[in-house]
Amino acid sequence: MEAAAAAGERVVFAEETEAWMDRAIDMAKEALGNGEVPVGCLMVYNNEIIGKGKNEVNETKNATRHAEMVAIDEVIDWCHQHKKDPEEVFRHTVLYVTVEPCIMCAAALRMMKIPLVVYGCQNERFGGCGSVLNISSATLTDTGEPFQCIPGYRSEEAVEMLKTFYRQENPNAPKSKVRKKECVI
Amino acid sequence: MLMEPDCKRQKTEEPRGASPWQVVPVLSERESQGVTLMPVYAAPVLDKKEASRLVKEVSAIYPLGDYPHLKRVRARGSVDSSHPLEMILCRASGRHQQGALRTLSELFPSGQLDPSGLGTPFLTQVPVYPPLTRRQYEEAASHWPVSFHENKRITQALSGCLFTPSEKTALQSHMELAIQAAQRGARQGMKPVGAVVVDPATGRVLAVGHDCRDGINPLLHAAMVCIDLVACGQGGGAYRYQDYPGCSFLLSANGLDQSSGADGLPYICTGYDMYLTREPCVMCAMALVHSRIERVFYGAPSPHGALATKYHIHSRKDLNHRYEVYRGILEDRCCDLAHLSVPK
Repeated sequence: MEAAAAAGERVVFAEETEAWMDRAIDMAKEALGNGEVPVGCLMVYNNEIIGKGKNEVNETKNATRHAEMVAIDEVIDWCHQHKKDPEEVFRHTVLYVTVEPCIMCAAALRMMKIPLVVYGCQNERFGGCGSVLNISSATLTDTGEPFQCIPGYRSEEAVEMLKTFYRQENPNAPKSKVRKKECVI
Repeated sequence: MLMEPDCKRQKTEEPRGASPWQVVPVLSERESQGVTLMPVYAAPVLDKKEASRLVKEVSAIYPLGDYPHLKRVRARGSVDSSHPLEMILCRASGRHQQGALRTLSELFPSGQLDPSGLGTPFLTQVPVYPPLTRRQYEEAASHWPVSFHENKRITQALSGCLFTPSEKTALQSHMELAIQAAQRGARQGMKPVGAVVVDPATGRVLAVGHDCRDGINPLLHAAMVCIDLVACGQGGGAYRYQDYPGCSFLLSANGLDQSSGADGLPYICTGYDMYLTREPCVMCAMALVHSRIERVFYGAPSPHGALATKYHIHSRKDLNHRYEVYRGILEDRCCDLAHLSVPK
């Protein structure tokens, strides 16, 4: 992987990207093992993980608690604990996530002004970085700033985990609401 | 014609001094668009007796399978016309390049068609898509005759007849709750945007909230707050609102809820209505898709709105859930909220 991109003022190198994505994939595997939606998500600032997220839709009964939203909240908490300005920290933070962020999360990432998102597989059902809508690069009024994306790292594995998970069906959805191919990413 | 009750442009009984408002449906992108046209080759039918044979033969060679709304033949309007009918031959694209006129023998080169009774082909414009609203139908039919399967609900909604006066009174009182929540939030330094969630099956208000982006969390816009408050009412929730008395929820009585799923438990916002003082942004509009909301009513449009203003996120065929959207409820009062000064 040759990709290297500027995140704020610092440069992200390919080997570094791969190492963090490997961590995200491990998190997704762990989630799958625990019967949770297999998405791994890391927020990295100054070579340090300051936020992690997993899908918490079922435990909170709130369909917006995607891994990225949970990780954003962890970064905000980290900023409060370390007396840092969240806006300044997000400007220099890279998100590593195994699946393309959905439309909602892409808008949220814009509003937090995260400059770079590295992800694994496409999200054909809800993707907000080009698959369904291109929120990441669109010109939008009062909705933060566009961010750069580096897609495709270990995408087959990320897809395979999702397929495995959704073959089992979501045990928390009521029977009438469960649809075979439903994805709550 | 539709049996329409006598309710054209009805306005609700308003308290004195209040400005009137109307419920306006926010249709999908396709339903809101003007008519898109494409070029076709057509030709006059000079001998009416040949018409049905010609339609049969031309349809076999150039079927209009992708355009079932297009009528093959149209009657010429003017009486003094030299020919009574005209018919579509084929699309003028691909190998029959647009703009170039073709002869009958060029359009039917292998002699599969007996051209007797057909005149010289000409180019004309016809509607690409079937009309979805009466407005689209009228515009489309001015170009070429099309069939129209009228969706009576849409027609009713567009004519302002979908909601009865008592339903409009309920819309108004729920929007008033949202406006009050926005005002309470503004008094605590929050952006003056309010939201309410109602279960239309019971009429019960399940959650009332206001924007908390300048308080609890930068992503807690009013819609996100109410989605989370509904979750709190179901025993979940991600945030705590004890410092914001303008945000409250009704604890759901599990199993008694009529709009609940098959196992008797409510599931996220399935079947519920949300009232918002202004059009939601991309994040909130998509959050409402994920939450399986049934209907959204909002007051004021917003430049960053993701329903009527841009994207029509509520009605996209490529997303797994769609919801109905109506705008204009207490629009003036919702617009006025923007001018509330926010104490800091």
